[in-house]
Amino acid sequence: MGREIIRGVKASVSSRPRCRWVAPALLPVINLALALLLSAVVVVLIGESPTRALWLLANGAVGNAEAVGYTLYYATNFVFTGLAVAVAFHGGLFNIGAEGQAYIGGLGVALLCLGAGGWPTAMIVAAAVVLAAAGGAAWAFVPAWLQARRGSHVVITTIMFNFIASALMTHLLVNVLIKPGQQSPETREFDPNTWLPQLHDVARSLGWEIGRSPLNLSVLVALAAGVGVWIYLWHTRWGYELRALGHNETAAVYGGILPARTVIVAMSSSGALAGLMSLNEVMGVQHRLLLNFPGGAGYVGIAVALMGRNHPLGIGLAAVLFGALYQGGSELSFDMPNLTRDMVVVIQGLIILVCGALEHALRGPLEAVVR
Amino acid sequence: MRNPTTLVVAVLVAAVTVPAGHVVAQEFVPAIVFDMGGKFDKSFNEAAYAGAERFKKETAIAYREFEVTNEAQREQALRNMARRGSQVVVGIGFSQASGMERVAREFPNLKFAIVDAVVDLPNVQSIVFKEHEGSFLVGMAAAMASKTGKIGFVGGMDIPLIRRFALGYEEGAKYVNAKIEIYRNMTGTTPAAWNDPTRGGELARSQFDRGADVIYAAAGATGLGVLQAAKDKGRLAIGVDSNQNHIHPGSVLTSMIKRVDLAVYEAFKAARDGTWKAGVRSLGVAEGGVGFSLDQHNRGLITAEMEKRLQQARADIVAGKIKVTDYMAGK
Amino acid sequence: MSETALLIALLAAATARGAAPLVLAALGGLFAERSGIVDIGLEGKMLAAAFGAAATAAVTGSAWAGLGAGVAASVLVSLVHGFACITHNGNQVVSGMALNITLSGLTAALGYAWFHEGGQTPLLGPGARFAPIELPGAAALAGVPGVGTAYREVVSGHNLLVYFAAAIVPVAAWIVYRTRFGLRLRAVGESPDAVDTAGISVSVTRYRALVMSGVLCGVSGAYLSIAHHASFIRDMSAGKGYLALAALIFGQWRPVPTLGACLLFAFADALQARLQGTPLPLLGVVPVQLIQAIPYILTVCLLAGFVGRAVAPRAIGIPYLKER
Repeated sequence: MGREIIRGVKASVSSRPRCRWVAPALLPVINLALALLLSAVVVVLIGESPTRALWLLANGAVGNAEAVGYTLYYATNFVFTGLAVAVAFHGGLFNIGAEGQAYIGGLGVALLCLGAGGWPTAMIVAAAVVLAAAGGAAWAFVPAWLQARRGSHVVITTIMFNFIASALMTHLLVNVLIKPGQQSPETREFDPNTWLPQLHDVARSLGWEIGRSPLNLSVLVALAAGVGVWIYLWHTRWGYELRALGHNETAAVYGGILPARTVIVAMSSSGALAGLMSLNEVMGVQHRLLLNFPGGAGYVGIAVALMGRNHPLGIGLAAVLFGALYQGGSELSFDMPNLTRDMVVVIQGLIILVCGALEHALRGPLEAVVR
Repeated sequence: MRNPTTLVVAVLVAAVTVPAGHVVAQEFVPAIVFDMGGKFDKSFNEAAYAGAERFKKETAIAYREFEVTNEAQREQALRNMARRGSQVVVGIGFSQASGMERVAREFPNLKFAIVDAVVDLPNVQSIVFKEHEGSFLVGMAAAMASKTGKIGFVGGMDIPLIRRFALGYEEGAKYVNAKIEIYRNMTGTTPAAWNDPTRGGELARSQFDRGADVIYAAAGATGLGVLQAAKDKGRLAIGVDSNQNHIHPGSVLTSMIKRVDLAVYEAFKAARDGTWKAGVRSLGVAEGGVGFSLDQHNRGLITAEMEKRLQQARADIVAGKIKVTDYMAGK
Repeated sequence: MSETALLIALLAAATARGAAPLVLAALGGLFAERSGIVDIGLEGKMLAAAFGAAATAAVTGSAWAGLGAGVAASVLVSLVHGFACITHNGNQVVSGMALNITLSGLTAALGYAWFHEGGQTPLLGPGARFAPIELPGAAALAGVPGVGTAYREVVSGHNLLVYFAAAIVPVAAWIVYRTRFGLRLRAVGESPDAVDTAGISVSVTRYRALVMSGVLCGVSGAYLSIAHHASFIRDMSAGKGYLALAALIFGQWRPVPTLGACLLFAFADALQARLQGTPLPLLGVVPVQLIQAIPYILTVCLLAGFVGRAVAPRAIGIPYLKER
């Protein structure tokens, strides 16, 4: 199914307007405005002021250094999962399993941090990157292998592996890794030298005061992952093979590409990227392994990848948009209790709908105007 | 601001010096952060909400509130409340413990309270309940009401808190009938486990099919499916946390009530009155923190004989003659 | 012996109840996907229908009015999906995900605003929901060993929507394989160009498929809120839409194998409920999480072991752009 979806994306991309830059540049802005307008209608129906809501949303997301920090912290998660989904997509595979892959990646990170109390931080960080990626890749490898060798549809197997991951992790956290004597199924807090430094601490040591937020050095890993994915997909032979396979399997096989190996490599890389998300949550913020820490970021990654057109740059932008919606949304429900958390979810959904799925709706009228 | 004159003066001063619309820094605004289930879960969080509402009604003091929707928001919400000048911040649910630990350290001059977990800091009040004691009593009720000698338990997720409910329930049932058969099911391993009445209903049906005729649900909104299945099958269910007898009068045998409302109300009130104290408050049967509910909706289900034995057991627990095992104690 | 028979009968009955919403949603998805539209929004449609049905049944006191409203809500969501994906060539997965997210919030928000019970709807009384139906002869046959038990426990005693789900499978198969609409549906999903050349509108066929999907998901959602349970609870679909999608793919986009996949999922779930806390031969009492993972592990094993490569409709996911 994924393969066909990606072709669908390309089909819509290839029908670019003749007007070179105006529409592509204006369209997202107009779409976002339309989405906000729709949301405003909902806000009015609830009986609140839409301008105040919008101001609170925007201010809550980017109004001060701390808000920006939170927005980027959420965005870091979405960059990882978005890249994960995108890499698989380029190979024509629909990876719904980023959630479970991130969960298992977190297991690798947690085991390291629990055991490596005495190591130097730099060494722990390097090892954590490897283990997070390895955990995620391992969890993606089985569905990948089954797809490649047995033709088992990767959508089903990755959904199933999400459930299996949650069962496994609940078992481990409740029965094995739990800190004795506490209610909450989570590990003990890691030793401070295993924490990924948070940006406000780094900034302070350099003499700057920035707002306190969970944003941590994993954001740099996310940027590096974005660049890495870009190089991998468009500047390596493996990336070429992957895209060729995603574009047209028959032609790819004819061209000497081994589909099975390519599928396994693509899915494992995808899982590794998803696993890296745990660096942010487990090592950068919570400093312990807790139940359900991915919190749905794996699913948001699907929307992020598609809205970002499966390109690292687009994914970065889409991830920041979603991060802003998460952060601004929670600030919004603080100040306007009538706009419950459900309303914030509605607004997020409408923005994805209009900016993502209905993105072409206004292209015709817009082109007619700018031409 | 215990003294009314001070209050009046403070209000007057505030009214004069602060332009309308601005938040008055000295104003007493308690805050509450609900857990994932949300304040209308008809159960745990709703009890907390009821306590906050009671405070608002009695004192005409509004409170700030927030419903958490993802893991990262917990700490953020607590900090946000603290920063906005809430003098007392109450966190509902054990999942808030780690977030509260950090935020309470950052704001040593503010008061915090947490329900269902212990945070060992000088400015945190930890309120824990002896759910096993209350569960023991409803387990007794279940065993006495059961005609088949088989009863059931449906939990949300297999976590220590729910095991504590289950263990107390089983001990209570066996106290009445040593040979009673008890089925135990857990709903799932994802957060949906607390929000899946369809599966809750199916688990209950499965236990009813095996002969159980009373089922205790400790599973959030999933438990509503258990209650419904009991009604549909003409058997009995036991509610949890809030008094759920009214949901299906005549088929809810009783509810294991956990006075989260009282905990929240008292934390707010003590903070306002200046009688607030840090430390652990452990609320069991003796403190009136847990118990079984008896009202007009289940009056017909609990016979005088049953009530007598339950009251006796309650007194025995208070007196220490009955010792209910706390699942957490051995850990 | 009779104990074992009863156990099997009860498991079968639980399987039927568990499979009903999956079958309805999966067959709905089948129509959409056979026409070439990815339908990841099954979850959102089920939620919309569950809410619409429960809210209407609560206000009117009529189960049928509730069912109608649930179906209408679900069809409306389906049409929005069509508007984005067919009329405007939007990305089908994004649209489906967006609708899932929107409805997860919207149902709870509307419930909150209308009923003031925190996103839930009021509990429904007997007339406002589909109650179990005792089929004629269930009591009379009860004395007959084997057959009587099977008839009483498995065949009789379900609510109307379970029987509807059972009946819809052959109907769906007949529509897909034996009617002109079915032929067009499959053709549009395989090679829309050819259908277009033959003078049949690709868009209209796909819209019709989405309406079918909406109707079936509507019944599925109504099953959750006004048949199995008696109110709407936020996010009460609890991932069943995704499971239905998995069943559809497992069933290779064909009605009868899809039914098989749904029955398998439901059976595994009923089995795990029964196995929890029961000592297993050789293993003793297994951690409950492992038992809970059985349905998912079983699915993966069966998929890998017995089911061949899944072949999707060829044009699935591709917006149809008319040659100009």
